[in-house]
Amino acid sequence: MSPTTIGIPRGMLYYRYEALWRTFFSELGANIVVSEPTTHRIAEEGMSVTIDEACLSVKVFFGHVNNLLGRCDYIFVPRISSFGRNRELCPRFTAMYDVAKNMFRNSGQKFLTCNVDVPAGDNEKKAFLSLGQALGCSAKSTIKAYKKAKKEEQRAYSDKLQKQKRLLEQDGLKILIAGHDYLVEDAYIGKPITDFLKKNGAVPLSAGIADRDAALNRSTEMSPTCKWQLNREIIGGIAMYRDKIDGIIFLSAFPCGPDAMVNELVLRRVDCLPMLNLVLDGQNGTAGTETRLESFLDIIRFKRGLL
Amino acid sequence: MTKTKEVISPKKVAFPRYAEYNAPIRYLLENGVGVKCVLPPRLTHRSLEIGAKYSPDFVCTPFKILLGNMIEAIEAGADTLVMVYGLCKLGYYGELQEQILRDLGFDFDFVNLTEYNTGKIKDLFKAAKYLNPKAKFRKVVKALLEAVKMAEYIDAVTAEYYKSCGFETEKGSYKKAFETFIADMYAANTKDEIELAYTKVKQAFAGIPTDKPVQPLRVGIVGEFYTAMDQFSNFDVELKLAEMGVEIHRWMNVSNMFIHYPGEKNLNVRVKEYCTYQMGPTSTANIRSAKEYAEQRFDGVIHIKSANCTPEIDVMPVLQNISADYKVPVLYLTYDAQTSDVGLMTRLEAFYDMISMRKKVMH
Repeated sequence: MSPTTIGIPRGMLYYRYEALWRTFFSELGANIVVSEPTTHRIAEEGMSVTIDEACLSVKVFFGHVNNLLGRCDYIFVPRISSFGRNRELCPRFTAMYDVAKNMFRNSGQKFLTCNVDVPAGDNEKKAFLSLGQALGCSAKSTIKAYKKAKKEEQRAYSDKLQKQKRLLEQDGLKILIAGHDYLVEDAYIGKPITDFLKKNGAVPLSAGIADRDAALNRSTEMSPTCKWQLNREIIGGIAMYRDKIDGIIFLSAFPCGPDAMVNELVLRRVDCLPMLNLVLDGQNGTAGTETRLESFLDIIRFKRGLL
Repeated sequence: MTKTKEVISPKKVAFPRYAEYNAPIRYLLENGVGVKCVLPPRLTHRSLEIGAKYSPDFVCTPFKILLGNMIEAIEAGADTLVMVYGLCKLGYYGELQEQILRDLGFDFDFVNLTEYNTGKIKDLFKAAKYLNPKAKFRKVVKALLEAVKMAEYIDAVTAEYYKSCGFETEKGSYKKAFETFIADMYAANTKDEIELAYTKVKQAFAGIPTDKPVQPLRVGIVGEFYTAMDQFSNFDVELKLAEMGVEIHRWMNVSNMFIHYPGEKNLNVRVKEYCTYQMGPTSTANIRSAKEYAEQRFDGVIHIKSANCTPEIDVMPVLQNISADYKVPVLYLTYDAQTSDVGLMTRLEAFYDMISMRKKVMH
């Protein structure tokens, strides 16, 4: 019997769990196909298959799902709802698996999922055990694969932290990008922005890359009742880095609900730092964005007497 | 011997408008907690306009309406605002609204129930204690139970109203009885007054002459927890459609979600072919309702939501499949900060024409 092929869409939580998912599935002997980095075509396809009113990130995600149709036995779309009180994910992640099944139900494609909903008693370990079971693997080998995957996840994350630490020591304007990793790191959406900043002598840092527990704790300084895990990590990151940076760019996808509210609040509460609120739609061409980035950098330099 | 006068806290408390549920909220605050309740003005385009002006662009519309109405409540003399918590973005409304109002320079006290929500009744009672330090637990619970009963009556009467008002022979009879009942609910201060008003409206409804076809057009309403129920927010779409001669059904309301809710597991089983998990706070209930309307061969389903309501956007692909499987037309309505109902009327009329022609062809 040939090994099972699992398709992983390169979008949304992939950026958070890349190491965990890849290691887990390959340890269990599965083949993995990850969709290629977002291209114009993938984004366009996503926009055409998804409900108009969904956010850009979701459209891109379903572009990746669409890209994987027929190329694998299963497409992996986890349902991740909540890690605990005030540690929820946007309802989008809660619905994602069922939305995918409904959107693509005539394609004949099979989907693989697992459920993380800690308040309901479904933690991550349980979710991964159920995944192993769905793939026909023994509990023992599943636990072994999960443990190894957790180690890889840790290692990958500390690599990211180290990299960010080195960036902090570099010369140049430090610009903290406060946005979800699936936006900031996306080749089609966020990367043109970080590339542009680098080209113009700035050092882009990511607010979401900070010690997670510390960031969660610090997030309450910015917003005590914020209930979304991913946003809390980002605003906690702002609290941790705010003394070491020259400016903040809030990067969000149109129309991201949690970002619309949390960013508005933080913009009202942080002072003494230049801030730019950049909302990305599915537009072609980067000229408009570049003008705004240029003037943002110019303003910072002007204020510091560097112009 | 003189009776000791009941201690009433000096606070003037307001909760922004939410359909007709401000009646039970007022009842609870005044008769349970023991504070003066200021009813904010009814929602108008002004509420939405000032709310939208100070809100972030793409937050969901109820946020904007509630914010605008909070400003109107302060203008009407309230010095304390109360905001609820909820499972979606609603749970974060309070903190941001308070910040926006403070930045605008308003002076008020703010009770954000999100801060008190730990899952324990005891902690929620602390909010009542904050409003009135002399609040008695037993009295609050008693008033709460009566307020809940009031909400149940309001929901039952509202359902009856929209179901039947399209077939009255004398135009406006149902509306008149309904409005009298709602006014009674806002004025009620005892359990007996609530019961009496309910009996009265039941009698009034029963006495209204109607002319209803054997098989009337039936439309089921599903949708978001604020916009689908709030007459101002949805331009009273139910009345508009009812008046064309349609029987309107809507399961989604406060008492069905909180008191008669059959439980997530029980509901989910009934829609297993469409969703494996709970997709959002009201998603399972809406999917279940839509499926039941389809199974009962309703002539159409209308899905109502505000712009940017994430959970309801995610329900749409499921409704599209229910529509395809049961051959039931579904109209999707998204309400943003628009101030005219002309576009809505055009869509409703077209929908009505389509379902009525379809019914003739099929029978």
